[in-house]
Amino acid sequence: MIEFRNVSFSYDRQQPVVEGLSFSIRKGESVGLIGANGAGKSTIMKLLLGLLSGDGQILVDGLELNKKNLAAVRQKIGFVLQDSDNQMFMPTVYEDMCFGPLNYGLSREETDARVDAVLKSLGIEKLKHCYNHKISGGEKRMAAIATILAMEPEAILMDEPSTALDPVNRRTVINTIRRLPQTKLIASHDLDMILDTCQRVILLSRGKIVADGPVEEILYNRELLEGNRMELPFCLQGRRENYR
Amino acid sequence: MHMADALLAPAVAATMYAASAVTVGASVRTLKKDEATEKLPTMAVTSALVFAGQMINYTIPGTGSSGHLCGGMLLTALLGPQAGFLSMTVILAIQALFFADGGLLALGANCWNMAFYGCFVGYYLLWRPIMTGKLFGRLGMRTKIILASVLGCVITLQLGAFSVVLETSASGITELPFGAFVGVMQPIHLAIGLVEGLITSAVLVFVYEARPELLMDVSAQAGRGRCSLKTTLVILAVVVAIVGGGLSLFASSNPDGLEWSMFGNSEAGYSENMGLDEEDYGVSSGAAEVAGSIQEKTAFLPDYGFAGSDSVVGTSVSGLLGSAIVAAVVAVICMGGGFFRRKKAGAKA
Amino acid sequence: MDQITRAHVELREMDALAAEDSPVHRLHPLCKLLVTVFYIAAVVSFPKYDFSALAVMVLYPVLLFQAAGIPVGLCFYRLRIVLPLVCAVGLVNPFLDHTPLLRLGGLTVTGGWVSMVTLMMKGVFSLMASFLLIATTPMDSICAALRKLHVPGILVTLLLLTYRYIGVLMEQVAVMTDAYRLRAPGQKGLHISAWGSFLGQLLLRSMDRAEELYGSMQLRGFRGEYHYARLDGLKWKDWVFGAVCLGLFAAARWVNIPALLGSLFVR
Repeated sequence: MIEFRNVSFSYDRQQPVVEGLSFSIRKGESVGLIGANGAGKSTIMKLLLGLLSGDGQILVDGLELNKKNLAAVRQKIGFVLQDSDNQMFMPTVYEDMCFGPLNYGLSREETDARVDAVLKSLGIEKLKHCYNHKISGGEKRMAAIATILAMEPEAILMDEPSTALDPVNRRTVINTIRRLPQTKLIASHDLDMILDTCQRVILLSRGKIVADGPVEEILYNRELLEGNRMELPFCLQGRRENYR
Repeated sequence: MHMADALLAPAVAATMYAASAVTVGASVRTLKKDEATEKLPTMAVTSALVFAGQMINYTIPGTGSSGHLCGGMLLTALLGPQAGFLSMTVILAIQALFFADGGLLALGANCWNMAFYGCFVGYYLLWRPIMTGKLFGRLGMRTKIILASVLGCVITLQLGAFSVVLETSASGITELPFGAFVGVMQPIHLAIGLVEGLITSAVLVFVYEARPELLMDVSAQAGRGRCSLKTTLVILAVVVAIVGGGLSLFASSNPDGLEWSMFGNSEAGYSENMGLDEEDYGVSSGAAEVAGSIQEKTAFLPDYGFAGSDSVVGTSVSGLLGSAIVAAVVAVICMGGGFFRRKKAGAKA
Repeated sequence: MDQITRAHVELREMDALAAEDSPVHRLHPLCKLLVTVFYIAAVVSFPKYDFSALAVMVLYPVLLFQAAGIPVGLCFYRLRIVLPLVCAVGLVNPFLDHTPLLRLGGLTVTGGWVSMVTLMMKGVFSLMASFLLIATTPMDSICAALRKLHVPGILVTLLLLTYRYIGVLMEQVAVMTDAYRLRAPGQKGLHISAWGSFLGQLLLRSMDRAEELYGSMQLRGFRGEYHYARLDGLKWKDWVFGAVCLGLFAAARWVNIPALLGSLFVR
């Protein structure tokens, strides 16, 4: 579904932000992208969405990412931003959800049907006509996911989907993510969430892939994690006094 | 609309600096009573927003071209004229310093052309009368906001564009006759003003619906607009066409009556005033002698009227050669500098 | 990279340059500010046909660029904004001013061409000088210098705060435009239906941010006067630098140095 072939990128042509990245993600796979601040997680997402362009090749569903294919590629990938406020600039949740599908040429009726279906599947029908600046943080995050789902993407990228949420809202979001059938690439520092939602993890450090494998191999490996400015997921740490 | 340094003669630049400085002074004084400190963070964040907002492209349906936000009207509607003017000044200063949009010397002129008209004229002549005036009492709030922002942007931009022409002409920079210059500038800025006005009104209407208390002179209780957006736009288009057409007609026919040379000669007058104004501006103490030397220098303005005089033709061949020598020296300096730096870097490594 | 990201990168580049160290960086900001203003004033005051006398003025920015170790290329990238405007005004001159000024073989150069070249030189030189100032002087030092010049405190504080928030707001606008573009294929900019709400949403949030900011300023004892970077007094080398520069500018303005140089070879 997604393939990076020797991709590098730098802002100022001197210090690369990511360097020589190669990996591929199969259809339907859920992949967690972890690494310290500045390791290159956001950059990878932006590269994949064609918001930045670097050296090397990126393939999405067999299509090479270039100017010509950009619209087609973006239709296949949805991106849930870290700050939902940035994502939702239309006045109401409903209008925001319509925004993408209408832009991709769907009729009003088809769009309405889609919006209703997505709202129902997420269980947030009551938010439909709410103003974006009046709903709570948790609702906003769900609504942001809904705006992306309304575009029916084949793959979803998420940047820190679980931050700044209370435990119940966080759990709701995690359960929602687990239920999504699409290919998922999730960048986060919330390793417990990654453990819950992903089958595979890619660990980055200073723009390079340090480890890439099943969750159990990487998130249970204390040495590897701590060597890269991470730590074991809390649920694996046990009680503090027993653990050292 | 941003004037570059090169388009201004020092005397004109100084005059405009003085005018803007007086406005800054007056604004600061008015604001002091008004709890300036409390407004400060809002001013900073809003001006940063306008700055960033001006970089967004707004596509104009059906034309394929794009427009930009009009900062002055937006700021004046949100902050009031004094705070708006200061914010706009700061935006222009940062644009001049960091993005080479405008220039250090032209800052005074740019403040006047964009911030003064946009904020003060825009507020006292348009925003406040339309928002609170009895004449417009029966219109809905939305209509009033759209009317005020579109008219405000169009009129203040026309004034600004006319000032640009005046300042450039007074500086003796262009050979373009005054009338022709005006004839080019005004219609272009009429179109720009219309688009900017529509964008500004879209933003302000949104703010009105979400948080009306953020806007100046807007009472939240006032009834929602009975006039639809479409009717408003039609009324507006007619008004703007009449006003704009009249202005442009006036502008392109009338100035032929103004003697072009009048502007050229007025420079001497500018420079005499300039010294005094500079003092008012508050350049003092350590800077006094520098200001003095600027004054002394600009008092003898270059004589622009000596086209074809013998001295120029006579010195031009040696001048050309001399310039070539300067260019060679520049190349040597650059190469020398690069060599020196490499050596230093090598020594470090 | 879009325009906003580009501008943001540019802004950070300038910050990085200003934080470096060199003899030019170490000059007093007030001294640099005044010399720069004086330089630009001198440059634009040259008569419109006097390109040769103006040419010598290039030495000031070139020498200082080298002394400060700042890549000139960065500065020329910025010309893309200034030059079109100056060109637009200057380009009509050759069509309107036919005064013959100079004969080179069979070619007659008219006043219009000469004044156009002079105008462009003025544009480039003044840009180089202000770029030099901002690339060697951090923003807070410039603000402190402005304060010394008795620019009202509120304006200077506003300048600093705005400068701080421009980065934040530009980042947000960039993220929002990204989010917009991802769902709006093939659109060059913002569609009319989103004109108001796009910036409006951001504005509402910025107002909340401003309120928070005000709160945090209050909590830390802000009373309206910002404490600027401490400036030492002008040292002797600042006085020397200023005096030498001003003297040279004045000399270059009154005496056509390149023509003098040239006349050594042409008789």
